[in-house]
Amino acid sequence: MLFRIDPTGDEPLYSQLAAQVRAAAARGELADGERLPAARDLAASLEINLHTVLRAYQDLRAEGLVELRRGRGAVVTAGAVRDVSPLHDAIQAVVDTARRLGVSPDTTLALVKEALR
Amino acid sequence: MTTATPTTTESPAVPHRRITTTLTLGVPAVLAAVTVAVALAWRDRLPDPVASRWGPDGVEGGSSLVGLLIPLVAMTLVFAGALWAVGYFWGRAAMTRRFATGTAVWIAVFVNGLTILMLSAQLDVATASEARDLGAGLAALIVAALAVAVAVAWLVPGDPRQPTGTPIPVGARRLPLPESETATWVRSVQWVSPVWIVVGSIGFGAAIGAAARSWWLALVLAAFLGTLLVTATAWTVTVDRLGLTARSRLPRPRIVVPLEEVEVADVVQVDPLREFGGWGLRTGLGGRVGVVVRKGAALEVVRTGGRRVVVTVDDAETGAALLNTLAARTRA
Repeated sequence: MLFRIDPTGDEPLYSQLAAQVRAAAARGELADGERLPAARDLAASLEINLHTVLRAYQDLRAEGLVELRRGRGAVVTAGAVRDVSPLHDAIQAVVDTARRLGVSPDTTLALVKEALR
Repeated sequence: MTTATPTTTESPAVPHRRITTTLTLGVPAVLAAVTVAVALAWRDRLPDPVASRWGPDGVEGGSSLVGLLIPLVAMTLVFAGALWAVGYFWGRAAMTRRFATGTAVWIAVFVNGLTILMLSAQLDVATASEARDLGAGLAALIVAALAVAVAVAWLVPGDPRQPTGTPIPVGARRLPLPESETATWVRSVQWVSPVWIVVGSIGFGAAIGAAARSWWLALVLAAFLGTLLVTATAWTVTVDRLGLTARSRLPRPRIVVPLEEVEVADVVQVDPLREFGGWGLRTGLGGRVGVVVRKGAALEVVRTGGRRVVVTVDDAETGAALLNTLAARTRA
């Protein structure tokens, strides 16, 4: 999978990393039992601190998305990756409808947030 | 071998041709000459005909000394010649030269060592049927041939650094990546599970052991097969600030293409058997090197020095796009 970080961004790096794994899982790009890169390798590759990657992996473990195994690194938990493609379809429908009616993205987001409350 | 990507330079000369010739043709030729010299020196101490085939119950067949030597010497030289041609004409990538030289030396050491081993097992016996067993000698020879081949392949000089300042072509795949962001793309390619490798190697060893009744031989062959499969069947492919890296479960061998040597990356269709003659870490037609573990879409990098590197990996589109994007950042 693709990991990208913006060291100049406001969001902490571990949180950027964790968000990308979450998003990849939600897009169905991660399979059950798939292994994330070893924390040491990923840290070296992105030129960030090892503990930043470990913190991201620990957050993901706390959410139940991955299991941390000694010697095997972070493995995507079986059953943790749900098929949310109906949600993608529904979101696409919302986007299409908002565009058709000329409702601005901010207003649409506000409506979605309101509904999620 | 067509690709969607344009070749941005004409093919430059193959480097290190003299040492490729010395090691790939010279070493096997010397070994063959030594074998013939030793065999002729031993002529008076050998039975006539000499034992030339061994089965589980001892000697199974014989031939004249010359009839034994000719096919073995011919085999050494034919393989050395063919592999020399691969290294000499297609050896733009160090991996191709190492593969050609290593294989030629491996075959030469094994075939000539086997000849000497067979003859030494029947020195001073009256008839061929009294020849001694090869047994552990054969296992030791397999290990020795491999060790010498690896050592000689290691002697083959690597590629010189060949950075390019040529921009990545405008039409090449790109990933929209803001200047402030860094990115890493990692994919693993697994072809056979490690469990099957262990089961397969043990089964193979047991079959050899039962057939040849030499457990040394079985152990060596099973270890050899297991190592080969471990390195050939699972790869981690990374695209990041260091360029493209493909590593197996072991630290070596590996493929590294630094960003400064990337001319362009793209996605191509690969047929392992037809274009590479098999699966795993391979040299293919024209000296293209790669990790090919399945048929289908692959990431191909056109590398400086007229080299091409192919890795069969899922989502090669993203990998190629990121490689082009990161490489473009290194060009002023």
